[in-house]
Amino acid sequence: MGPLAVNEFISENTNLFLAFIIGIGFGWVLESSGFSSSRKLAGVFYGYDTVVLKVFFTAAITAMLGLLFMSLFGWIDLNWVYVNPTFLTSAIVGGVVMGAGFILGGFCPGTSFCAASIGKIDGMVFIIGLFIGVFLFGIGYDIWDELYMAKYLGEPKVSEALGMRDGVFGLLLILAAVGMFFVAEWAEKKFPREEY
Amino acid sequence: MNTTATVERGRRYLNPYLGGVLLGLVLIAANFVAGRGLGASGAIKSVIVTGMEAIAPDASAGSGFVQEFRDSHEGSPMKTWLVFQMLGVIVGGFLSGTMAGRLKLKVEHNPKITSKRRLIFALAGGILFGFGSQLGRGCTSGAALSGMAVLSLGGFITMMAIFGTAFALAYFVRRNWI
Amino acid sequence: MNPRVILAAAIIPLGLIIAAVPQNTTKPYKLTAGQLLEEVNSRTQFLAPELIADMLVSKDPSIRLIDVRPQDEFEKFSLPGAVNIPFSDILSDEWTDILHQDIKMNVFYSNGSVTANEAWMITRQLGYENNYVLEGGLNYWFDNILNPQAPTSTSPSEEFARYDFRKSASMALGGGGVVPADGSSAPAPALPAIIPRVAKKKVAGGC
Repeated sequence: MGPLAVNEFISENTNLFLAFIIGIGFGWVLESSGFSSSRKLAGVFYGYDTVVLKVFFTAAITAMLGLLFMSLFGWIDLNWVYVNPTFLTSAIVGGVVMGAGFILGGFCPGTSFCAASIGKIDGMVFIIGLFIGVFLFGIGYDIWDELYMAKYLGEPKVSEALGMRDGVFGLLLILAAVGMFFVAEWAEKKFPREEY
Repeated sequence: MNTTATVERGRRYLNPYLGGVLLGLVLIAANFVAGRGLGASGAIKSVIVTGMEAIAPDASAGSGFVQEFRDSHEGSPMKTWLVFQMLGVIVGGFLSGTMAGRLKLKVEHNPKITSKRRLIFALAGGILFGFGSQLGRGCTSGAALSGMAVLSLGGFITMMAIFGTAFALAYFVRRNWI
Repeated sequence: MNPRVILAAAIIPLGLIIAAVPQNTTKPYKLTAGQLLEEVNSRTQFLAPELIADMLVSKDPSIRLIDVRPQDEFEKFSLPGAVNIPFSDILSDEWTDILHQDIKMNVFYSNGSVTANEAWMITRQLGYENNYVLEGGLNYWFDNILNPQAPTSTSPSEEFARYDFRKSASMALGGGGVVPADGSSAPAPALPAIIPRVAKKKVAGGC
């Protein structure tokens, strides 16, 4: 019964080793899907390349369905799986700042490492920027730690917040994602595409 | 400058839906093995904390940032799940790039702008993203993707804020991309 | 065919299934039926009433009595320091911290020992440690600890030792008026060791 590390089927060090292996899988899939290219990543915001939307939402609904089915079969105990906490203010403000960073830099941390690993200098520079940004946050922590800790709502799930079961919300998310895929394909036909 | 190589979709890159399914499987594996999803910005935080403690141990002991990290981690800040995962990401990306012949040292940018401009914006974007990822307690991998997979409300909110803001600002920096 | 359509065709039915099926809320069982049978037969979960009485008299803090009878019976009479967890409520979340821990020895008791033993079986199946059953329950407790029968003159000497112990315990625990003999020459049975519980660490994730 998963999660393996929590139920002590594997040791801490095995867990770290598997983290490395999982990371290899992660990096491989990201790069193979084209996420090592900042132009492809930014494309979703202009309509010419919606790979981000397709990969992202397909991955989210696949993983979500997979975990729900595994829980149904008793293969994993979802009570022990980490659910990101909700700190309302900093979630929004952080997201806005990240959105700005995304459209300016054309990367997010995971993809920038992929890009850097195949030699993209803009990826490497982005990573340098990441370090600077985290460092700035760290040294000025006392200035914004109130904002950082504001409005802690616990670790609610969206399904709980909306008052529906996990599976029902999952279905809604799937339908929304599929709808978005159709919109994405339409956008790619409509907006010009250059070869890069 | 370097020529823009034609990349035929479907041949050089994976079909995005297939890529998405594979990524979803990786995410399931992470949750099954370790009880947590994927991430990226946390590894950066580990490195910064290690650096801070190495360079200025006394100031670090008093820093709220380091304290908050230490509250949930014992031992070396580099011996975390995310650091090992990110090392794997570098290897995985490299392997994939090698297999597809995409290894090339270059600055990728819209031909209508200069490399220098691209790099300045990359740096600025990185700084903003680094800062924002700490506030948002995650980046697109950790908060948005992994958060959505476990239906976390915070993850959803952060994801919508990221994409919403990027869409809103896209018009103003369109010169960089199209 | 269009990959988008294939994906949609595969994933929407799965979504419908997951939306329709009720959520799996079973708590994972840590012992198999075979393991539980072995433990039930070994009877090691039973603790002698003398032992419990001894601990109560000396006010040993490592023991916690749990009354698994309904609340009205608990209010009419209960053992000193007992917590009331009615058997029907035993799986409720509010008692998990008391039942699933490694600091004290929990001793279930009921009027006989059937309900207490059932409570023990349920919690043992969940993998909880450090729970025990008061042998004989309250019925035995009343008859033998609180109002011990004096042994006849032909009984073996252990009987007398036990009787002396029970008399003094009964005085300390508010039993029927019996004149205590010479302090407690009680047989001191060995206490079971507290089994530390390996806490499951909740993982830190995100970033």
